[in-house]
Amino acid sequence: MRRSNSSALAAVAVAALSLAQTSTEFITPAVKRVGVRLACLCTACKNTVADCPMLQCEYSHPARQRIAAQLAQGKSDDEIVKSFIDQQGLQALAVPPNRGFNSLVWIMPWIAVAAGLALVWLFIRRHSSKRAAASGPPLDPAVVERYRANIEKDLEKLD
Amino acid sequence: MENLGALALVLAFCFALYSILGSLIGKWKRKPFLLASARRAVYTVWALVAVASGILVYSLIAGDFRLVYVASHSNKSMPLHYKFAAWWGGQEGSLLFWSFLLATYSAVVTWTCRNKFRDMMPYVTAVLMTTEAFFLMLITFVISPFQVFVVGRGIQDLGDGQGLNPLLQYWTMVIHPPMLYLGYVGFTVPFAFAFASLITRQPGEAWIHTTRRWTIVTWLFQSTGILLGAGWAYAVLGWGGYWGWDPVENASLLPWITATAFLHSVMMQEKKGMMKVWNMVLISATFFLCIFGTFLTRSGVVSSVHAFAQSPIGKYFVTFLAIGIAGAIYLILDRLDYLKSESHLESVISRESSFLFNNLILLASCFAVLWGTLFPVISEAVTGDKISVDRPFFERVNVPIGLFLLFLTGVGPLIAWRRSSLESLKRAFLWPTVAGAALMIALIAAGMRHPYALLSFGLCAFVACTIIAEFYKGARAISAKSGANLFASAIELTHRNTRRYGGYIVHMGIVFMFIGFTGWAFRLDETIEVQPGSVARIGHYQLRVADITQGENDNYIWNRAVIDVSKNGEPVGALEPEKRLYKASKQPTSEVAIRRRLNEDLYLNFAGMSNDNKKAVIQAYVFPLVSWIWIGYWVLLFGTLVCLIPPKMRLQYARTQVVGIAGRHATVEQ
Repeated sequence: MRRSNSSALAAVAVAALSLAQTSTEFITPAVKRVGVRLACLCTACKNTVADCPMLQCEYSHPARQRIAAQLAQGKSDDEIVKSFIDQQGLQALAVPPNRGFNSLVWIMPWIAVAAGLALVWLFIRRHSSKRAAASGPPLDPAVVERYRANIEKDLEKLD
Repeated sequence: MENLGALALVLAFCFALYSILGSLIGKWKRKPFLLASARRAVYTVWALVAVASGILVYSLIAGDFRLVYVASHSNKSMPLHYKFAAWWGGQEGSLLFWSFLLATYSAVVTWTCRNKFRDMMPYVTAVLMTTEAFFLMLITFVISPFQVFVVGRGIQDLGDGQGLNPLLQYWTMVIHPPMLYLGYVGFTVPFAFAFASLITRQPGEAWIHTTRRWTIVTWLFQSTGILLGAGWAYAVLGWGGYWGWDPVENASLLPWITATAFLHSVMMQEKKGMMKVWNMVLISATFFLCIFGTFLTRSGVVSSVHAFAQSPIGKYFVTFLAIGIAGAIYLILDRLDYLKSESHLESVISRESSFLFNNLILLASCFAVLWGTLFPVISEAVTGDKISVDRPFFERVNVPIGLFLLFLTGVGPLIAWRRSSLESLKRAFLWPTVAGAALMIALIAAGMRHPYALLSFGLCAFVACTIIAEFYKGARAISAKSGANLFASAIELTHRNTRRYGGYIVHMGIVFMFIGFTGWAFRLDETIEVQPGSVARIGHYQLRVADITQGENDNYIWNRAVIDVSKNGEPVGALEPEKRLYKASKQPTSEVAIRRRLNEDLYLNFAGMSNDNKKAVIQAYVFPLVSWIWIGYWVLLFGTLVCLIPPKMRLQYARTQVVGIAGRHATVEQ
């Protein structure tokens, strides 16, 4: 590690690396509670506004400021979320609402599981019925006994 | 130079076409010389793509900034290894890299099978070269890596370039993409053999025996690529998220899931002659999901932080996928008679059934990920509304599916092939169930209330016990006979059936990973502003900012926070997270500092200075158990390598019934 004595460099570095505005004051439990329902739309992450890690994120930072301001005005969580939907559309939500066409996003994975289970059940039934059809007439006990004797003989040889 | 590179690609494209036609016509007209010539064309394609790749890499290292690609992804100050990594750092270069890897795989397959599978090989060559020709077509005629800056009638040299994206200037990024691509590209080989066996109406499992090792090695590359990507995200992005459910991350996971299902169900075909159609579907799905993943990364159809710049290549991928999928579906349907099962299921409580459920759950997980990834596009097309499908969706849907899969990981190996009696099940499950339940009760008593976390830890204990019991029972039997100690007996046991016991080791790796994933539920995070000399707290850690230092090198300027860390009042050392500003791109990045331990990681990110320049803004996180993910990977790697060791004993498996055309063919062949 080396220390730089260049004040010009330090000025550039500090200007470039410092945060333009203190962002931490907006990361409160109340802001997080509302933010967890809202998607960060910066396209650089798939996080919610609550857990977007970029303090200066072009979307989440102003969104957190907005949530904090609306909370200060005494608005409820639902009202704040609705104000985001009014402005951004449904994409403001971290997950689509479970209604209308969008409910398919929630339903389809479980339909797929159910369909898969049905397929497995059909497969088992089909193959089990084959087995029943292929089982044929009962075996002659003498034949079974002869096989048993052979097995015993082979096992003795192994010992 | 660039003209030579572009010419090599044009020639490679022509030779790939020649190889396809030569293979097919040679086979059709029974002309051995044409088949031999088509094989040699494969080597020529490799040589030409290698020349083109060599020229691009030389241009990147030498700094030929007349080339658009070089100027966009390299610069003079970048270290040599990052200049080399810039080969796959951008759209055009990565497609050239894809082509190079596929050409290499194709040459290796052609060489190793030159005297084998005379029926199948021409079609294998044709499939491999069709895929190669597709990628060569893209980089020859659509987006060339050898494009130069032209101003008027002259070529302009920019003097220096933008450099590789700073986020990619990290050591795992040098290895992560090649590993992932080795996986993506590698699945072309088993697919080519499967396709060829369908065309030639092969009744047996020749294609599976031939490609088993390919598939395992390719799966290992894919696993390594995914885990390296997770490791990179954890260490570079500054918030410890190793998996973000980003569309491009999901795209790499999808073929991995289907390949995992294939690796399991293929055992049913080898041992019982069952699930032949299913295996064809799985390997085809894996291949097409690889191509789909490549399409997703490059087409701009979904927004992603990973995506390359948008380009016009999306429609070519869609066409290739449509034709390929239609061809595969037609062939599978047309050859159903040759894919009939040779055995039947004797009992619902059997290893065969557990494989069916395992495949079902894996495929359900694959569908859930694919569905969540594409749903925003589907929803917008249907309703006209843009929507977001983010982490909460994927976690809510995939966590229960993943836990059920973990449960099956423990159940499957305990159930015998053909049928298991309830008595033997009771014997096998008693102690693992007791262990899992005991751990859950102990955790509840210790105050843990998170339901999924409790279930996950319980299942981890259950599965770990089943695996240990399997090793113990086998090793004890060998030890009783040979007199060797248990450890030596366990090694002997593994050597006798490397695939089975290597598989168990892989399962143990997965258990370790689940332990790591579960730790996420207990993470702590704080964003704090601290004046130098002051102390902040997170969990049982105290953080004292001792100093802020600055510096620079040719590539970037840095600010570094020196933070003395104490745990419960005891000093445990200093961490030095860093904020960088890359000079060429003017892009800031974070170099986090991590104190890694088996029980938890302390993770510090220096986000910058506060607006009054007096306080350091530190994002501090505690991630419990996260190291077990990386440990799990090493165990998985070891287990997979064990699977690749030839077993000491060749095991025979009884088949209960032979039916259908496939069965008759098999009987005649014998």
